[in-house]
Amino acid sequence: MSNADVSHQSTPAPASTTTTGETEETVRESWRTYDVTGEPAVAVEDLNVHYGDDHALKDVSMDIPEESVTALIGPSGCGKSTFLRCLNRMNDRIKAARIDGSVEVGGEEIYQDGVDLVELRKRVGMVFQAPNPFPKSIRENVSYGPRKHGDLDTSLLSRLLGRDDAEAEEALVEQCLRDAALYEEVADRLEDNALGLSGGQQQRLCIARALAVDPDVLLMDEPASALDPIATAKIEDLIGELAEDYTVVVVTHNMQQAARISDQTAVFLTGGELVEYGDTDQVFESPESQRVEDYITGKFG
Amino acid sequence: MASRIVERFEQYRSRNEDAALVLLAVTALSLVVAFVLFYQQSRWTVVPVAAFLVLTVVGWVRYQATVARGLTFVMTVATVAVLGLIVAFLVVRAWPAFEQMGLEALYRTEEPLWKPAKTTPWSLAPMIVGTMVTTAIATVVAAPLGIAGALYISEIASETTREVVKPGIELMAGIPSITYGFIGFVIVNRFFYEAFQTSTIGNYFTVGVMIGIMALPTIVSVAEDALSTVPEAMKSGALAVGTTNWQTMKSVTVPSAFSGVSAAVLLGVGRAMGETMAATVMIPHTKGFADPVYDVFGGVGETLTTVIAFEGGNATGRHIEGLFAAGVVLFAMVLVLSVTAQLIQARMRSKYGGDR
Amino acid sequence: MSTVTRHALVAGETTLREYVSTGVMAVGAVLFLASWAVLFQWVGERTPVLGVDLFTLFGVLLLAMAAGIAGVGVASRLGHVSASPSASAGLVAGSLFGGIGFVTGGLVASQTLGMGTVGWLAVAVATGVAAAALAVVPREDVGSTLPAALFLALVGALLVTDTLGLGWSWSPNDVSATFVGSVMVPVVTIAGSLVGSWSAAKARAGFGTQGREAGAFYLIRLSVFGMLGVLTLLVGFIVKNGLETALTNAQFGLDGHLDLPGALFGVALPDWSLPFVDVQVPFVTNVSQSLYVDVPGLAPAILGTLWLVVGAMLFAIPLGLAAAIFLAEYTESRLFRQLVEVATNGLWSTPSIVFGLFGLAFLVPRFGGGKSLLSGQLVLGFMLLPLVVITSYESIKAVPDEYRDASAALGVTQWQTIRSAVLPAAMPGVITGVILGVGRIAGETAPLLLVYGGPPFASQNPNVLSSFQFTSSPPFVSNTALLDAGSALPYQLYTSITSGRLPGQGAPFTVQDFGWGTALVLLVVVLGLYAVGIASRLYFRNKLYNE
Ligand SMILES: Nc1ncnc2c1ncn2[C@@H]1O[C@H](COP(=O)(O)OP(=O)(O)O)[C@@H](O)[C@H]1O
Ligand SMILES: [Mg+2]
Repeated sequence: MSNADVSHQSTPAPASTTTTGETEETVRESWRTYDVTGEPAVAVEDLNVHYGDDHALKDVSMDIPEESVTALIGPSGCGKSTFLRCLNRMNDRIKAARIDGSVEVGGEEIYQDGVDLVELRKRVGMVFQAPNPFPKSIRENVSYGPRKHGDLDTSLLSRLLGRDDAEAEEALVEQCLRDAALYEEVADRLEDNALGLSGGQQQRLCIARALAVDPDVLLMDEPASALDPIATAKIEDLIGELAEDYTVVVVTHNMQQAARISDQTAVFLTGGELVEYGDTDQVFESPESQRVEDYITGKFG
Repeated sequence: MASRIVERFEQYRSRNEDAALVLLAVTALSLVVAFVLFYQQSRWTVVPVAAFLVLTVVGWVRYQATVARGLTFVMTVATVAVLGLIVAFLVVRAWPAFEQMGLEALYRTEEPLWKPAKTTPWSLAPMIVGTMVTTAIATVVAAPLGIAGALYISEIASETTREVVKPGIELMAGIPSITYGFIGFVIVNRFFYEAFQTSTIGNYFTVGVMIGIMALPTIVSVAEDALSTVPEAMKSGALAVGTTNWQTMKSVTVPSAFSGVSAAVLLGVGRAMGETMAATVMIPHTKGFADPVYDVFGGVGETLTTVIAFEGGNATGRHIEGLFAAGVVLFAMVLVLSVTAQLIQARMRSKYGGDR
Repeated sequence: MSTVTRHALVAGETTLREYVSTGVMAVGAVLFLASWAVLFQWVGERTPVLGVDLFTLFGVLLLAMAAGIAGVGVASRLGHVSASPSASAGLVAGSLFGGIGFVTGGLVASQTLGMGTVGWLAVAVATGVAAAALAVVPREDVGSTLPAALFLALVGALLVTDTLGLGWSWSPNDVSATFVGSVMVPVVTIAGSLVGSWSAAKARAGFGTQGREAGAFYLIRLSVFGMLGVLTLLVGFIVKNGLETALTNAQFGLDGHLDLPGALFGVALPDWSLPFVDVQVPFVTNVSQSLYVDVPGLAPAILGTLWLVVGAMLFAIPLGLAAAIFLAEYTESRLFRQLVEVATNGLWSTPSIVFGLFGLAFLVPRFGGGKSLLSGQLVLGFMLLPLVVITSYESIKAVPDEYRDASAALGVTQWQTIRSAVLPAAMPGVITGVILGVGRIAGETAPLLLVYGGPPFASQNPNVLSSFQFTSSPPFVSNTALLDAGSALPYQLYTSITSGRLPGQGAPFTVQDFGWGTALVLLVVVLGLYAVGIASRLYFRNKLYNE
């Protein structure tokens, strides 16, 4: 992506000291700073998350450029999902979670009083690790969001009053399914129950469902981890295409996948720290942190 | 089938000492003998009972593993047998009554209606209608409130309020029904009699509302169980496209748990139908049909449960047989509800896999 | 996908709309509570407040609510306040307001205007359809406020003008009840406050999806609040009315001694006396009727309940626990397990009175033909049985397989594994379940009426332990106390309802007070068991978490 410009000042400013891991390596501020030209789509500042006494994310700051794919990688349990859930406040569902810090989406702080969660989640969509379509028809799955928001009105009442948006719905469903690269496969069975689709199809349906509310940012938590290689390849292609219109943040623990699909990569390591963040090529080819290098070359993690 | 059982038995025999098996057989036999003697009202019942106890102790000391397995099996059979015994004794005692009236006992509406005697006809219809009217009122009260309570506990309440509300509703289930009845008799009935100038103290309306309140906890806790089986992933999926919690409940959570929630309502209806004491002390015990049937404040009032409880203590002859017939009808109605609810729950469980 | 509308992500300052709707909801809450207070006759309906009649004040407040709601709705429609309403309030709101319109129109036409059936039906349908249309056709901010405001205004006007007031009464032809003003005014006020507060809750959240959520949650919270209110009232009434009776002639001091007649427990022990705080509660320790007691008490009932429960537990726990072990650990046949599950669930849902009939048919003839303690114990045991099976089975199944594997890996037999690994782990659940089950049967009355209940007011305590007699002819052992009818706490409460008065003379309270006292003691016993059960569940659960 060209709207992001990388600069690594080598001012050694030790930010925090890791207590985990073999090497007592100091995480340098510069490794995880990434200069975004223009407005970042998402700006995270000193984010800390605790689950009870468990400190799951430590002082994470991260600017995510728009219309690009940002990959979050790291060993399991390092807080990637936690970080992702902070961006659309799905963590509010977890009673034990305590969140401090600041997250700005499109320049607006989302951790402040008066934030409309419904509005936030319309702007920041999410696709989960395991496909979770509703036990409804394919069509209803896609149009679920717009219907519930009142943007598509196909209720009994509106049909009685002759105000219904059946055609708009038709168009929207087709468009979203096409964008999710699923339309050809399901065009003739839109009324079938979504649970009858294969895992990969279900996951693309979930992507279509998220696209239907026209989000700015799309969060994906290991969207291909439950899928077979062919379905995975389809999802990977799709992510590349989506980045033309959306800001995609994708969690994966598969490093080849991150290298293939992403523009930027952020590496979290055990303990909930963001250790390194930069252009994907640079992070994979010449990581600055020893621990990140070990992780990427498979020596640990 | 038979060969499989023989095979199983052979296997079982090969794994256990013969002496242990003989002992076990004798122990079980003494229990059967005890039951037979007890059934025949013999004075000798105590002998096989004592034999059973002694043999159990001996077996326990000598062959604990074999006896434990055998005895637990016998006890399981005994538990099932209890239900069989209940059905058998109810039907046997009610038989003469049904022989006299046939199925007309269920729908006869002409006088004389009560009480059963060998020479005059009688009818359970007033009580059946009474049970249905009170149960209907109870359902109208309990179903929406109960589902609201379940939604509150499983979806809306914060951790702390849940810790208050849930035990509170369990306590409601714990208060004995006669206590509800006492309050109903002393306070509610009197209030209604004075404020609404009803013709009798007690009527279907107050009884229905009271047993509805009493059925609430059943609905709340069973429906809450059902709602909490809906996978979090499904709810998250809905919330993540920006629907409100309420929309998520309406369009994802409740439809997914629909079968479980309806099972909860059915079980609650069954509770209300079988509720005895509160109704017995609040109802006027006059048999007849309200005219029109929705005149729930009227002077008539009797249900299947209340007539048994009120008259069963000192009824004899055809009268008590008629009450047994009422018991059979009640039992059948409640059993149908309970079995339906169980089938629904089983389907729900298999849909989401495992046992939660 | 340009169909998607967007609203502000972050709400601004609290707006006028929110202030007004919060005010309306507050007034609604006051009216709601005040109306219940009138219904419970805690507040007289003639109480003057601020110089006006209470009911006139209700009317004024309803009118104020109506004005507030209508104001918010109209202001939102005209764009004077910010909100995000949907295109229509929807069918649910439409049918709700249609229903209210139908009932209100029908009642006004038939009762106030005195129209005939055809007339009032026509008016009712017309008002119903009009209200539904008013709710459905305009945009949501108008559709969910104006009909509510009209309804509140109508009710308020009726109250203010005293058209519906203390003098009002209505006896419909086909229902044998008379509806009088002193009851109906609070009832319609409650209805008005609910409708108004619901509408205001929607307005407060700015209509739209959030508004509907706020409205629905308001009603749900109110239902839960109502349930807890019923519970509180119930317990409150019993404590308030029962305490005085229960403490009649009671003495509390520090310099006393504990006098326990050995015979109280049915054992032939010498009476013993310990230096102790001096506590005497005759209502708990006296028999229910005797020439020699001044305060009729509950001792026979309490001991009766104790013996019933003990007997039921001795019968049901071994049986039920054994069945649960077999089901969870031994049987491999799914069919058999399902059969037993259906049977236990069937037993669980069998009405208690049916257990009573069963006892009457099966047990009573075989225990001497009369009502007896033994029959009562067994019948309650039958009722406890499914509860023991279900809870034990669940807690045994909840024991993780690692326990079994770890033990089996050491070469221990299956039974040893069950005994030393599975059962100890399952015990907390079993104990909790049994306590809760006992709490349920301890309050059970219906079967006792048929198989156990003796004289309404017992004059002696059941002496089970001292009544065993051994004979040389069968049945070799007998116990008259076990074969006697008797009393139990719930049975005692029943008889105090059915008996017109207390036996004998000179009792310091009426039979109804006796009932309140009995209800209190019963409540303490049963809720005590429940509290112990729930507390033990919490205790074991916390222990599990902290390990
Ligand atoms: N709901 C939760 N409750 C308590 N702790 C949690 C919860 N979710 C995650 N955690 C903890 O937070 C840490 C980070 O988890 P997560 O964000 O899921 O990691 P990742 O997605 O990188 O595997 C882990 O230690 C995990 O145990
Ligand atoms: Mg994860």
